[in-house]
Amino acid sequence: MDNYEKLEKVGEGTYGKVYKAKDRSTGQLVALKKTKLEMDEEGVPPTALREVSLLQMLSQSLYVVRLLCVEHADKRNNTDGKPKPVLYLVFEYLDTDLKKYIDSHRKGPNPRPLSHTLIRSFLYQLCKGVAHCHSHGVLHRDLKPQNLLLDKDRGILKIADLGLGRAFTVPMKSYTHEIVTLWYRAPEVLLGSTHYSTGVDMWSVGCIFAEMVRRQALFPGDSEFQQLLHIFRLLGTPTEKQWPGVTSLRDWHVYPQWEPQNLARAVPSLGPDGVDLLSKMLKYDPAERISAKAALDHPYFDSLDKSQF
Amino acid sequence: MEFDNIGKPLTSFQEHYPDTIPDLFASENDHMPSQSFSTSPSKTRDFYVSFRREAISLIFQAQFSCNFDPFVSYLAVNYMDRFVSKQEITQEKPWLSKLLVVASISLAAKMSNSPFSLSHIQGEEGFNFDAQTVHKMEVLILDTLSWRMRSITPFSFLCFFVSLFELNDPTLTQALKDRASETIYSAHNEMKFLEFKPSIIAASAILSASHELFPLQFSSFKASISDCQYVDTESLLKCLNLMQEMVMMQGYESILETVSSSRTPMSVLDRHFMMTNSESDNTCSNTTTTTTTDAIAVAEKRQIKRRKLSDFCSKSGFQISQSNQW
Ligand SMILES: Nc1ncnc2c1ncn2[C@@H]1O[C@H](COP(=O)(O)OP(=O)(O)O)[C@@H](O)[C@H]1O
Ligand SMILES: [Mg+2]
Repeated sequence: MDNYEKLEKVGEGTYGKVYKAKDRSTGQLVALKKTKLEMDEEGVPPTALREVSLLQMLSQSLYVVRLLCVEHADKRNNTDGKPKPVLYLVFEYLDTDLKKYIDSHRKGPNPRPLSHTLIRSFLYQLCKGVAHCHSHGVLHRDLKPQNLLLDKDRGILKIADLGLGRAFTVPMKSYTHEIVTLWYRAPEVLLGSTHYSTGVDMWSVGCIFAEMVRRQALFPGDSEFQQLLHIFRLLGTPTEKQWPGVTSLRDWHVYPQWEPQNLARAVPSLGPDGVDLLSKMLKYDPAERISAKAALDHPYFDSLDKSQF
Repeated sequence: MEFDNIGKPLTSFQEHYPDTIPDLFASENDHMPSQSFSTSPSKTRDFYVSFRREAISLIFQAQFSCNFDPFVSYLAVNYMDRFVSKQEITQEKPWLSKLLVVASISLAAKMSNSPFSLSHIQGEEGFNFDAQTVHKMEVLILDTLSWRMRSITPFSFLCFFVSLFELNDPTLTQALKDRASETIYSAHNEMKFLEFKPSIIAASAILSASHELFPLQFSSFKASISDCQYVDTESLLKCLNLMQEMVMMQGYESILETVSSSRTPMSVLDRHFMMTNSESDNTCSNTTTTTTTDAIAVAEKRQIKRRKLSDFCSKSGFQISQSNQW
């Protein structure tokens, strides 16, 4: 780890801090992310091995943040004083994430909407990245603006934080005791479905799309119950007809009967093609939700110069 | 984060998601021994020939005592080859090469979620490493291979190539894939195939298998594979020739064995082991016996498989063609 000069903290992750750092030998900027992957009596834990090599494989894509290498440092264990190797993931560094970017357009000295060209391009790159993960049999499960990194100057968006989901179970609270956000969570997950699939990521993509247009979250719930109510109030309380099997999901209760609202009103500046794509991403029945691959061919992207990707 | 069973993370072995085919071809080079390997000085190469042979027999032993899927052994050998092509190992440190073998097996077992304990392969061979040493070696291998442990192997390409043939009968497709897999396993034991890309090995194995199972369709199959945009025809033909030679030798040897003795027939590989073991100095005679017994076990297994295959073929009205065109 002496090869890197830590410059500043760029994020408070779920498991620790993420640092901007400089590779002393090449001058390259990197992001250092400490993991919970500690070596134990069995050496490198099998889950860690499989997850990191999966990340390594996925990060070959332009739309996934690149894993440059894995470093290990010896950390002294406080209890018995024995050194314990800890793994650090070294990623390419990107200037900002989509949350910080949207925030800077909402508050700060010069509040203004994101340009529609940019939204279209970011959404396209996001769908590309999600399609890439799904084609390799991998769900992200925690897509949100904080986990999408941006290169502002080049207009590039990349997916980060492919959660190492099996190496540890996703905790409800981060190490700073900040509640893990529910805003992008699909209704089937909120309702306790255990057999969810690629649709969970597409729901999140829809929420992120709407948020880029609105500059604020579409469904800002602060508990699982409130989260569902936010969704139902806009999209109507789901029915068996719309979503077969919904009332038998583990956490289904009887909810107030809301009628669906006009989705276009939630994203006032978005044109009809955009609204159509958004409504397909926010379908209640996960089987009906548009796939990332199909989304790439949606007319909303017709005006985009796809040759640049 | 995976939605298929993480217990089988090596989807590359059986099915690949069709959308990932171009990615596979694009990145297969990262998963094979670097080119410098085949151009390295002959002394280093010679050393590796004998080292590799011993290593493979050790890995087979582990496979039997731990009841591993053969793919675990395949992976271990792949890690070992890739490691050696990037980091020099030398005769001066024999223990280092043993350590490499042990750590490669351990990593392959972890990747495939196969239960494995160091005690399974240590001891008998007269070397023992403590767990910490093995784990340090694991980390060194991981770093050297840039944590690319989900190796792209010839198996990753089988489905794709078979799909080019548009066979409508799933049992035929399966028979073809099974025979090609056997051929891939055999070829992996021979150094001369190391220079070929995984996709070329897969294409050659499929063609070689189709030549055995459906000789009449062979040339049309060969044409469809050669037409594939990702395949370098020259390299394919070279590999296919070597592979058919290997398969023919195996068939020839096993017929010879059956005729000339009442003993279990053995394939070339197994004879190879025996020959090299008796050729090499007899300092490790223990190893020789174990290896030989295991080699016979391999041969037996293989014979059973082959018998099943020919049963299948005669039942479905297909003939195995043992004759080869040259
Ligand atoms: N490669 C990177 N370049 C720049 N900033 C990064 C990078 N990776 C992470 N960050 C910042 O750190 C934050 C947390 O990182 P993340 O990988 O999402 O960890 P966690 O699993 O802890 O959420 C991100 O939201 C982002 O702001
Ligand atoms: Mg994050």
